[in-house]
Amino acid sequence: MLLSINSVNKHFGGLSALADMNMSAADKEIVGLIGPNGAGKTTLFNVITGVYPIDSGEIVFKNKNIHNHKPHKIVKNGIARTFQNIRLFSNMTALENVMAGRHCRTKSELFPALLRTKAFSKEEKEIQDSSKEILDFVGLLKSGNELAKNLAYGQQRKLEIARALATNPSLLLLDEPTAGMNHSECNGLIELIYKIREKNTAIIVIEHQMNVIMNISDKIVVMDYGEKIAEGSPAQIQKNPKVIEAYLGRNN
Amino acid sequence: MKFKNIAIITAFITAIVLPLIMQASANYYAIHVLGLLGIYAILCVGLNITIGYTGLLDLGFMAFYAIGAYIGIILSAKGISFWYIIPISLFIGGTFRYLLGAPVLRLRGDYLAIVTLAFGEITRLLLNNLDFLTNGPKGLPRVGETVLPISIFSFTLRNDIHFYYLIVFFLALAIIVSYRLEHSRLGRAFVAIREDETAAELSGINVSNTKLLAFVISGMFGSLAGTIYAHWIGFISPESFTFWESIFLVCMLVIGGMGSISGAILGAFILAGIPEFLRPVLGSGFIDYRMLIFGLLLVVVIIFRPQGLLPSKRRNLELRMNKNSE
Ligand SMILES: Nc1ncnc2c1ncn2[C@@H]1O[C@H](COP(=O)(O)OP(=O)(O)O)[C@@H](O)[C@H]1O
Ligand SMILES: [Mg+2]
Repeated sequence: MLLSINSVNKHFGGLSALADMNMSAADKEIVGLIGPNGAGKTTLFNVITGVYPIDSGEIVFKNKNIHNHKPHKIVKNGIARTFQNIRLFSNMTALENVMAGRHCRTKSELFPALLRTKAFSKEEKEIQDSSKEILDFVGLLKSGNELAKNLAYGQQRKLEIARALATNPSLLLLDEPTAGMNHSECNGLIELIYKIREKNTAIIVIEHQMNVIMNISDKIVVMDYGEKIAEGSPAQIQKNPKVIEAYLGRNN
Repeated sequence: MKFKNIAIITAFITAIVLPLIMQASANYYAIHVLGLLGIYAILCVGLNITIGYTGLLDLGFMAFYAIGAYIGIILSAKGISFWYIIPISLFIGGTFRYLLGAPVLRLRGDYLAIVTLAFGEITRLLLNNLDFLTNGPKGLPRVGETVLPISIFSFTLRNDIHFYYLIVFFLALAIIVSYRLEHSRLGRAFVAIREDETAAELSGINVSNTKLLAFVISGMFGSLAGTIYAHWIGFISPESFTFWESIFLVCMLVIGGMGSISGAILGAFILAGIPEFLRPVLGSGFIDYRMLIFGLLLVVVIIFRPQGLLPSKRRNLELRMNKNSE
């Protein structure tokens, strides 16, 4: 198993945001993560990526416990993510955002940078070339020199994905990638997710659009009140009474 | 040729020729002022690395200038050459900076501003009270001690104009270091941290170590400037290193443009230059009002040009794909 989350608990004060949460993702698998607002989906991403420490349980990635690791170490280990509310480096260009994502896969330190050694220049070129390739992959190469803050909303979402891909993840966590998008932006993004899937990167995607999630997922995990209430293939989930209740029995 | 290159060459030629003209017209005071501007420019280029690139609010930068200056005089009085003192000063200044930054930079939020501010005050108090080392308020060198003159091969620096060229040399070096740093993997990490610390960490950047590196490097610029200043003026006392001097530097960056090297230098020239050049014209009573004038200038810039007079611009890169990179 690429990632296993075993009996993870996370409280915020009296609120139990994750309660005995279990789930897993295999190599190359696309896992859809759904559940009503406040179910704990983003919190799950936050504990996987080391933003919050967990209260108990374990998070195992590539057979290593990662739940005490610093976030940048976890990225280096191969988990990258995007954010529900876009978090780009606004005053850097699109290309520089992606280049910053290459940071953990490159190593030029201070003195090579100051002396402009051969190795530095070579690596700098590698960073630029691979970042341009990634920008091209998400369809943003033309906007490479635009400041991130000046990009259209849909482009910003794609740029965030590009920056995450630049870290060469084996697992990509996408937090509501189509949120707030108009119809055509949304279609563009779904296409992009299909393309990433072809790269054999495992993906866990939080998504509210059921048609999208049913289409792209190998497996779906449903959360409610910090717990997993169902897990299975898209067809199984659609028929699961608990899921139907969680979605239809409550208005929010 | 690109406009930017022309501007750099013009600035460089002016920096070389201007003092010669002043020398020829016996305007020695102006040369002295230019030297001071150069020192302030080195300080601002250094401080820009923390405040401008990395977004760390550092309110005690003058403490490291003071450390460099005291190391300069103390060692020089012991007969050590300027050229050996420089690396020692960089090392000691960097070490202090590391010891200060390591615990604080791990914390989130605005602790840094408060801690650096406190460190600036503590440094000044220690300089005032550690008589055996610093001679207290009387300053250094002590009676009977002398500062060893700086020699370059067999040439000894004596006049302001000699020191002026030394300062220009080190300023050029500071600019090159800062520029190369900015346009490197580390420089991108600095700016990414400024833009969004959490996103930077979650994009694989070791935020606390990278901040510490920026903090240490910038402090070394301060020590460098201090050591040069001390050798030039030949006398230092704690009153040159007050809290206001640190704030003054931050104002220079705000007016010039955060994160921009040319902005840092312009800010230094304007804020340090105006009072010096107006003093002979308006009389020294004017100096009492300079804080008022700076305050007004600051307000005007913040309202009408919040990004500063010469704001930082991100560099455009060639976007064509390299076909043989596959
Ligand atoms: N940092 C935090 N501090 C306190 N409560 C939080 C924090 N983060 C999330 N929560 C709470 O945890 C619950 C789960 O939130 P979240 O994981 O964002 O849900 P989802 O992403 O499924 O909509 C919510 O009740 C939310 O208010
Ligand atoms: Mg959420």
